Amino acid sequence: MKIDLTILAPYVGFLAEGALLTAEVCAVALVGSVILGMLVAIARTSQLAWVRGLAFAYVDLFRNIPFLVQLFFFYYGLPEIGIYIDAFTTGVIALSISGGAYASDAIRAGILAIDNGIIEAAEVSGLPRRVIFTRIVLPIALRTSVRPLGSVLINMILTSSILSTITLNELTGNARIVTSETFRPFEVYVVLLLVYAALTYLVSIAISLLHRWLNRDMQPEVN
Amino acid sequence: MRYTEFTPFDLWLLTQGLGVTIGLFLATSLLGVLIGVVWGVIRFYRVPVLTQLITFVSEILKNSPVLVQLFLVFFGFPGLLKMNVTPVTAALITLSANTAAFVYVIAVSAIESIGRDQIEAARVFGLTRWQVLRHVIAPQAAAFSIGPLTALLVNQLQVTSLISVIGVMDLAKIGANLNLRTLKPFIVWTAVGILYYLAAKLVAMLGSALEKRLRAHSAFRGL
Amino acid sequence: MLKVENVKKAFGDVIVLDGVNLTVSPGEVVSILGSSGSGKSTLIRCINGLEKLNDGRITVDDFDVSKPRDLAEARKRSGTVFQLFNLYPHMTALQNITLAPVEVLKRPKAEAEAEGRALLASVGLGDRADAYPSQLSGGQRQRVGICRALAMKPRYLLLDEVTSALDPEMTAEVLAILAKLATDGTTMLFVTHEIEFARQISDRIVFLEKGKLLVDLPAEQFFAPDGGLAQPRVAQFLSKMRKD
Ligand SMILES: Nc1ncnc2c1ncn2[C@@H]1O[C@H](COP(=O)(O)OP(=O)(O)OP(=O)(O)O)[C@@H](O)[C@H]1O
Ligand SMILES: [Mg+2]
Repeated sequence: MKIDLTILAPYVGFLAEGALLTAEVCAVALVGSVILGMLVAIARTSQLAWVRGLAFAYVDLFRNIPFLVQLFFFYYGLPEIGIYIDAFTTGVIALSISGGAYASDAIRAGILAIDNGIIEAAEVSGLPRRVIFTRIVLPIALRTSVRPLGSVLINMILTSSILSTITLNELTGNARIVTSETFRPFEVYVVLLLVYAALTYLVSIAISLLHRWLNRDMQPEVN
Repeated sequence: MRYTEFTPFDLWLLTQGLGVTIGLFLATSLLGVLIGVVWGVIRFYRVPVLTQLITFVSEILKNSPVLVQLFLVFFGFPGLLKMNVTPVTAALITLSANTAAFVYVIAVSAIESIGRDQIEAARVFGLTRWQVLRHVIAPQAAAFSIGPLTALLVNQLQVTSLISVIGVMDLAKIGANLNLRTLKPFIVWTAVGILYYLAAKLVAMLGSALEKRLRAHSAFRGL
Repeated sequence: MLKVENVKKAFGDVIVLDGVNLTVSPGEVVSILGSSGSGKSTLIRCINGLEKLNDGRITVDDFDVSKPRDLAEARKRSGTVFQLFNLYPHMTALQNITLAPVEVLKRPKAEAEAEGRALLASVGLGDRADAYPSQLSGGQRQRVGICRALAMKPRYLLLDEVTSALDPEMTAEVLAILAKLATDGTTMLFVTHEIEFARQISDRIVFLEKGKLLVDLPAEQFFAPDGGLAQPRVAQFLSKMRKD
């Protein structure tokens, strides 16, 4: 059998639609996991032992159970308790929750890296804890965790391919449809591999640029 | 299927699934580590063309979804190579290659962490490149890599769940079957999740125990 | 009135402040001298509530820093300038200065900004309001640090070795500003190793040794042979400092 990529030409638009859906799912789930990650990172600094314990258990569980199992838990489980949501929403929820576990670690590391003197300066000026957190701790932590959060996003893009198993026709889902119509799985999946690799490569470049831009004023201090 | 209730036999099924998961995990980890280390050595010898090829393949493998890699091997290879690829073969090939790609990166950075000057110093003593590799680099690199390697393997254990999608009767697939039969998704996926979680914890524990031993060993030798 | 009464502070078994008494009245400039590790920074950190006392009492205009209810009010009345500046790295000089006035004192933003700019101009940084800390020299950063403290209109300004991270030229810039503040009647509690400068601007000088206030005298008497110098530890300390 010869490799012939031209047979894919008619399906480019169809695959692009899938890629768009992948982008949408990941964009929403990224927001979800960063918000969740922030909340969990805060919870892990709580004075209450049970709040810290709960936050730790969440991170530990969702990092050590396969995403596929988490996804099926939500996809098949939620209807059982009367919550009927579509594959897209299920995918977003599952990706956000699993991504949130990783994002919380990234944000937590960013928080722990903040120079204590900066926080003390804020405290003695009388700023309430909430303001210190939202105006000083979080912005600094988010800036320094852009890169690790970027890795979370890249992982999420790769993981989102698993959503094809719950009938969501994102990039991989659509590619499976194309193979069933063309009977050319080799060509389709080779191209798909390259598309994902190119996609994540572009995202990593974008993250580097974002990192540089956000930290343009935080160059290592020079005296 | 006639039975919709759980039977004691289901526990046996789960155990079998866990066995398949762990067996494939061990086999592909072993193969993956071997291949990855060999790739690292090829790079150490700066073999032209091959080094670039390995780097490229490893980048693609790291930056594309394992599920798509699995589809390529399982659906794409038979037509192209005119060979029969069973689900287990596809799983072995894909997971080993994927693990190898990440091991390669760990191996490269482990070798680099040792530093050119140490390598050069040993060469000045008249050691061949191979002797340097065996006696200077390998022991230190092993101690250096065990941490990242453990983290990788904990992750790869979860990745094995994807082989259920192409029909390997692993833990996730048994879960899917039980789920279809009993229509009790919460119980099924919770049980499956717990088993994966425990297995992941076991891998992490073994890894850190090994790390402690290696550390003690290399400290004793004054490295 | 800022009152430190019989304050004791220990870290584990190490007693760092051992019954310190000190009063600073409005308008006074009081310098704290003492060798490294004598507890100067700890005293400042007790006053602004960053460390909890083991015993004794600190009140800022009658607000007790050990009482959670009073701490906020006590902190509003004192401003701190740090040795390592501790500016907020993600905010411009002006934002560093206006954050607390807007959030704590609820000042209108425009007003706080106008005042912030005026403050920056008064320390020679009128054109650097929109610069980030990383874009400023050490001396400039510390001047912003001083403005940030002053923007809260504190009754008492606490300064802990604010020039020791700076080279001589930048030190001179910052000291000039402090001298001006002293002349303007700003109340200051001033930890320093700049002995000559302390002598010039202080009303009183106190000497801390192993957590105890050994000497508390008007500035001129501190350096008089029958005053502070009569204390062997002070004489030793001064001669050592002058040699360095
Ligand atoms: N957080 C802490 N935990 C334990 N010990 C501390 C802590 N902070 C200060 N100390 C100890 O308390 C003593 C006094 O420290 P302090 O920083 O107040 O001295 P200082 O007079 O400001 O010295 P320097 O002139 O070097 O700044 C030192 O022995 C120091 O090691
Ligand atoms: Mg000090």
